[in-house]
This record gives sequence, structure tokens and C-alpha cells, in this order.
Amino acid sequence: MFKGGVRNARVITRTSVRYHQTGTSESELSHFNALAKSWWDVNGPQRILHKMNLLRMDFIRDNIRTHLKLNPQDVKPEDEVYIPPYNVDLLPKPIKENIILDQELRRNEILGANKLKVLDVGCGGGILSESMARLSFVESVQGIDLSPEVIEAAKAHKLKDPMLKDKLTYNLQSLETLQETFDVITLFEILEHVDYPAQVLLEALNRVNVGGWLFLSTINRDFISWFTTIFMGEHVLNIVPVGTHTLDKYINHGEIESWLKENGDKFKLVDSKGCIYLPSYGWKFTSNEKVGNYFMAIQRIQ
Amino acid sequence: MLTKRFLHSFRDVVVVGGGPAGLSILTALKNSPKTSHLECSLIEGSHITKIKEFDDPNYTNRVISLTTKSIKFMQKIGNWNYIDQERIKFYDNLFVVDSQDKDANISFTNDSIDYNPMGAMCEILNVQKSLLLRLDDINSTTENKAEIIENVKVEDIVNPPLNEELDWPIIKLSNGDTIQTRLLIGADGYNSPVRKYAGIESRGWQYDSFGIVSTLTLTTEDFNNVGYQRFLSTGPLGVLPLTDNNATLVWSTKAWLSKILKSVDDDMFKVLVNAALRLDEVDLNYVYKKLEVDPKDTSVIDDINWRLEEMENKKEPSSFWDDDNEIPEVETLLPGSRAMFPLKMSHADTYVAPRVALVGDAAHTIHPLAGQGLNMGQTDVSILIETIEKGIDRGLDIGSTLTLEPYVSNAWPMNHAILGVCDKLHKLFGNDFTPIVAIRGLGMKVFNNLTPIKDMLVKSLSV
Ligand SMILES: Cc1cc2nc3c(=O)[nH]c(=O)nc-3n(C[C@H](O)[C@H](O)[C@H](O)COP(=O)(O)OP(=O)(O)OC[C@H]3O[C@@H](n4cnc5c(N)ncnc54)[C@H](O)[C@@H]3O)c2cc1C
Ligand SMILES: C[S@@+](CC[C@H](N)C(=O)[O-])C[C@H]1O[C@@H](n2cnc3c(N)ncnc32)[C@H](O)[C@@H]1O
Repeated sequence: MFKGGVRNARVITRTSVRYHQTGTSESELSHFNALAKSWWDVNGPQRILHKMNLLRMDFIRDNIRTHLKLNPQDVKPEDEVYIPPYNVDLLPKPIKENIILDQELRRNEILGANKLKVLDVGCGGGILSESMARLSFVESVQGIDLSPEVIEAAKAHKLKDPMLKDKLTYNLQSLETLQETFDVITLFEILEHVDYPAQVLLEALNRVNVGGWLFLSTINRDFISWFTTIFMGEHVLNIVPVGTHTLDKYINHGEIESWLKENGDKFKLVDSKGCIYLPSYGWKFTSNEKVGNYFMAIQRIQ
Repeated sequence: MLTKRFLHSFRDVVVVGGGPAGLSILTALKNSPKTSHLECSLIEGSHITKIKEFDDPNYTNRVISLTTKSIKFMQKIGNWNYIDQERIKFYDNLFVVDSQDKDANISFTNDSIDYNPMGAMCEILNVQKSLLLRLDDINSTTENKAEIIENVKVEDIVNPPLNEELDWPIIKLSNGDTIQTRLLIGADGYNSPVRKYAGIESRGWQYDSFGIVSTLTLTTEDFNNVGYQRFLSTGPLGVLPLTDNNATLVWSTKAWLSKILKSVDDDMFKVLVNAALRLDEVDLNYVYKKLEVDPKDTSVIDDINWRLEEMENKKEPSSFWDDDNEIPEVETLLPGSRAMFPLKMSHADTYVAPRVALVGDAAHTIHPLAGQGLNMGQTDVSILIETIEKGIDRGLDIGSTLTLEPYVSNAWPMNHAILGVCDKLHKLFGNDFTPIVAIRGLGMKVFNNLTPIKDMLVKSLSV
């Protein structure tokens, strides 16, 4: 499974108790339980997560929108959207603007007609779940987590926005007990906290519909990550609560990448980006996804 | 989208204030495909929709200079099509002279860059009317209409009790209604009740100066494309072109002088404007002394005319103001168009708080010498709408500071710089202490010969 990982040995075998396959240690969970109260204080301990949410929403939206099939097979030729075979930037500005507007309208049309069902795994207090639920092209969001306190915090906060009432549900539930499949599954800032990250990833991928997406963020297991997330983040700058991270749970970008390659044609790694937190600025994409934090967009192609 | 509950009705956005800033943000919200689904209401204390019927051929006295950047934004949100173009005057030249030093002058023109007017003189009423018409146009094509609640004042804004789920502010209106809103936009001018509710400090000062505005006609019809501004030690006096031989006056003066200018009749005022455009400050002060004693003293008119003639005779042919740069001469004053208001400068510490954003004069008031007040409001609105669109794209609550913070970081620093420059200009020129006059004269002369720097300034003033 994952190359060179000690955890390879720990993963798989569907025979063990299901709960534990995607489980998390008691100490991890009690850490998040304790954070539940302040989860939605945008200037509190989870501010860094709130700020990261801005970047990941851009990442998710851009990927979903740019990879839509603008001219599906059954579209009539006169209804086709023009897609120039070369870079639109080469065209005169008004023409370029018209083409882009045309494409944008088609994207809205397609997304409006097939609204997406979303699962947010390890939703915590619901920062990402709420944002996803507010998108016009999302039909429903289900958030799951194993920490009872954060699920309560998520449910309580949901009531503060009438817009979320019919679109968002939260459940204290583990991933493998879910029977449904989804158009979008998100695994943000959770893989580095679970005992068997590969297993969680696999369970999630198995629940993605054809054409659907899995988005994740986690941290490379390297010196930079230790230095920025644990040493600086938790101990020096105090921007992340102490005890949030454990280095040996980090999973490398390359490990997921090569697993996807080996496991062939079903999934495609469409996009990945490194990102870094700059205290006075917020999160910013970097050019290297192999170092520090990274985002991934995986699409199920068949 | 939102359901009625208790006594309140609910909105996504409530805008307080139907001035140019408030109407612009309402139009921008309804114009953008990303935000047009939001339920928006605007509350205005006066009867603004009657502006739509305005068709008096005379110019109104609140005239501003629209920059090309503002015009582009108005084209984007669609109200530019509804601007009465006959009442707009593009100008491409601004002469600035210093009363203390005849040779010190700056000529701002756009000739050196590819032709591009510096701006357009336009009545605030014309802007408001175009926005109201654009809103009618948008409303005619949608179910989810922009609502204008007029002749109604915001009496109080309160937070809901802590035990309530919804933490949206509640707005109490003078007609007894209450509205609870996700986002409250304060476009409610200098005394902004919204800013007070949000507990945002605004820092600034009065200048002990007043602005006097009026609508004029000039003797020379072809004066046309040139704006003229003279810096006097009592403050700058500007005559800016409107169509035909119409022009608008913006005269900033010290309190003592404004008192005199207020007490004289229209005929006298007209002569005083012509004098202030030309005479030496010693002569002006002599005249003002006489009027302070008796504002009806008509001998003053003869005295001024005599001095002006003397000056004409002494005019050196080499002087900067040759035939091309004629100093404008006032012919008539539109009766009832003379108005006075105190000058102040202020800047809010921030423009946002949870569920609150400020735009326009609610966020900053500026000395009118640069005519930037309304333009700054337009820039605010253009940045705020982009910020809200981004928040929607990101699935954020548009009232959350996570959505609104980028508005402050993108709008505040530039406004602060503009406020600072105008404030410093005001202080630099409101002075007759010789060394300062010499330095600023030298500055103007040098400045006039530095085309690239001037181009840069023209660009930032107008683009
Ligand atoms: C007398 C005067 C003359 C001016 N002349 C010039 C000039 O010649 N050139 C120039 O460049 N600038 C001038 N200015 C400045 C210019 O008018 C402003 O920069 C511009 O109008 C600001 O627009 P705004 O929409 O932000 O605020 P405003 O135009 O002040 O609009 C605020 C609106 O909010 C409404 N409001 C406030 N409180 C409440 C409430 N509690 N309930 C309901 N409604 C409320 C008010 O009725 C008003 O309509 C002048 C300003 C004044 C006051
Ligand atoms: C750092 S938080 C991230 C929260 C959220 N995904 C976000 O990014 O906003 C990690 C969350 O994962 C949850 N978690 C840890 N292990 C889990 C598991 N095995 N299954 C589901 N949730 C888990 C924790 O309770 C915690 O709420």
C-alpha cells in the first residue's frame, strides 16, 4: 500500500473491528473535545483553521468548476460552448471576456442542474461543512466526527444561520458505518490525527461517486513540518493549541501519489498544492506540495 | 429564503443611507450574478425617489468631479447609461495657482499621456438619479427586488438577547417596524448611526473652515475644458467647468471670512469671487475689513473694479496667464444656489465589525479641495462588492469578519493616503508665512517642469 510506511503493516485487513479501522485514539479525541467551545471564535484558538478554510474553499471550487465537461455528449451542436483550442489570453480582450462569460454561464447551468451531495469527514465544529452547505451548487452536506463535543458545537452553531437549516446535518459516526456514496468527500486536517490514515483514505475513496471528488489536506512528514506545525505553531507562536499534532502520523504527499498510480485507473490526482501559514497574512499556496502542509484534489474517473 | 419570525422581518443585507454610496452598493449587489439572490433593503430618512423626477434646467450646487475610475465602476454596475450626459462636463486641464507667488503654478493636463479626460464634473443628484433609474431597471426583470424604504429613519440598532440563536443586529425604524439583518451596511454619512452601533472610533478634526458652493455662469463661453484653482491663505478657491458657460464654485475659507461671505448679497458675492480669483491678498484683506463693518457697503464694488482694471493695465505680456489661460470671470450667480458647510476631515479606525461594513462618508470625510469625497465612496463600494462576492464563492457567512476583513485591508490604506495628502495640502497652502510660501512656490515651479511626476499624479487623481 503506502510506500515505505511503517503504517502499511497496520492498515487493511477488513476483518478487525470496523470502528477501529478508521478510529482515533482517546487522547486525540479528548484534545478536540476540549476545543469545542471556542471552535467558532474566529479570533480564538481555531483562527488558523478559519483562515485555512478560505484557501481550501478556493481550491475546491476552482477544481470542481474547471473540470466540468462543458459540452457533454448529448449537447446539440448549436448549444455548444466555444472552447478555443489554444490559450484564451491570446485573444483580444472583449472576445476573451465573452468566451469566459459564456463558459461561466454554462458551468452555473451544469452545476445548477446536478447539485452535489457532500460528506465532510472529521468535520470538527463544522467550519468547512457550513461553507460547503452555503454554496449554490451543493444540495446537501453531511458532517461526521468521532468527538461528541465538537459535533454538539457544530450543531449549535448551525442554528445561527437559517440558510443552513435544510442543507446541513451532523452525525457522531465513523466513516465505515456509512452506506451512502457522495459527489464530494472532504478529509481536511484529519489524516494526521487518525491511527490508520491509509485506511481512512481508502474508506473515503470507496464512497466517491464516478465523476466525483475527494479533497484532502494534511501535512508531510518532514523536518519543515515538524518545525512549522509543532515547534513554531504549537510552542513558539501559540497559533495552534499544544497537542494538536504528532509527527509520526503525518503522511507524505508522495505516498498518496504513488498509491494512486499503482492502483490504476479508478482515481486521478488532478491537483495538489503546498501551503504555508504566514502569521501576518494568513495561508498562502506554495509551489512545493512535497514540503509542509498540502492540499489534494482526487477525482474518480470510472 | 428567510422566514418571518416574531415581530421582525429578515434581510440578508440592510443598507442605511440613500446617498451616492448607499445607492451604489445596493445597485452593485443587485447587479452582480453572485449576489443578486440576496434580499436587500435600503433605508433612507428623506424622500429620495422623488429625485427621479428632477428636471430643473439649472444646475444644483453639489457638484463633484468623477474620476475615470469611478466612471468605469458606474459602467460596470450599469448606472452610467442612466446618467444625464447633457449635465456632465468632461475636463482635461486643471490650473492651480498660488496667491502668494504669481509665478508658482501647476498645470495638470493629460495631454502628455494618451488623451484621457481628467474627470467629469457631475452633480451628486445626477449620480443618485442614475442609480435610482438603474435599480428600477433591475427590479423590472426580477422577483427578488431591491427594496427602498424611504421617509423612514433608523432610530436604534440593537443586538438580540444573548440567548437567541440569531446574532444578527436588529434595526428599529421610525415607522415602528424592526428588521433583523445578516449584514448591515452603513452608508449613512458623517454622523453614521451604524458606525456608532458598531463602536468604531472615527478620528479627525474640524478645520475652522467652511466650504461655500454655488452655481455660476462665466463671461467666456469657451473657458470650457479647464478647471481653475487658486490657493489663498484663507483656503483654496476652485471654479470648475460645467456645460456651456456654466461653472461650479467650491470656495474653502476660514470661519471669519465665511461669515462675511454669508452676509453679503449675490451681487456683492459675485464681485468678491472675481476679486478673489485675481487680486493680491493685501487688497483682498482690505476689502474684507470694510465688509466686516458693513456687508452692504456698495463702494466696495467700485473699489474692487478699480483695482482689477489697474491690474489689467499692468499685466505683463510674459505672464503665465496669457490668452490660453484666461482667468475665469463670473457673470452671474444662480439665485439660491449659494450654500455653506463646515469642512472636516475624519477617518474611521476600521470599516468593519461583526455583521457591519461602512462605506462612503460614514467611513471617511475629506476636505473638498480635491473633490475626492464621492470618488472615495465609489472605490469603497467597488472593493466591498468584490469582497462580498468572494465571500459567497467561499461559502462564508457574508456578515462574518472572515468575509469582510479583506475589504479593510484593500480600501483603508489608500483612503488614508488620500486623506493625508489633502490634509497636508490644506495646511501647506493655508499659510502666508514667507519661507513656506517660498518653498511651496519653488515646489510648484519645479513640479511643473517634471512631467513624469505630474503624469503620475494626474493618473492617480483621475484613473
Ligand atoms: C452640504 C454639503 C455639501 C457638499 N458639497 C460637496 C461638493 O461640492 N463637492 C464634493 O466633492 N463633495 C461635497 N460634499 C461631500 C459629498 O456630499 C459627500 O462626500 C457624499 O455625498 C458622500 O456620500 P455618502 O453616500 O457616503 O453620504 P451622504 O451623501 O451623506 O448620504 C447619507 C445618507 O444617509 C441618510 N441617513 C443618515 N442617517 C440616517 C438615519 N438614521 N436613518 C435614515 N437615513 C439616514 C441621510 O439622509 C443621507 O441621505 C458635500 C457635503 C455636504 C454635507
Ligand atoms: C483539526 S480538526 C479538523 C476539523 C475540520 N475538518 C476542519 O478542517 O475544519 C480534526 C477533527 O478530526 C476529528 N477526528 C479525528 N479522528 C477522526 C476519525 N477517525 N473519524 C472522524 N473524525 C475524526 C477530530 O475530532 C477533529 O474534530
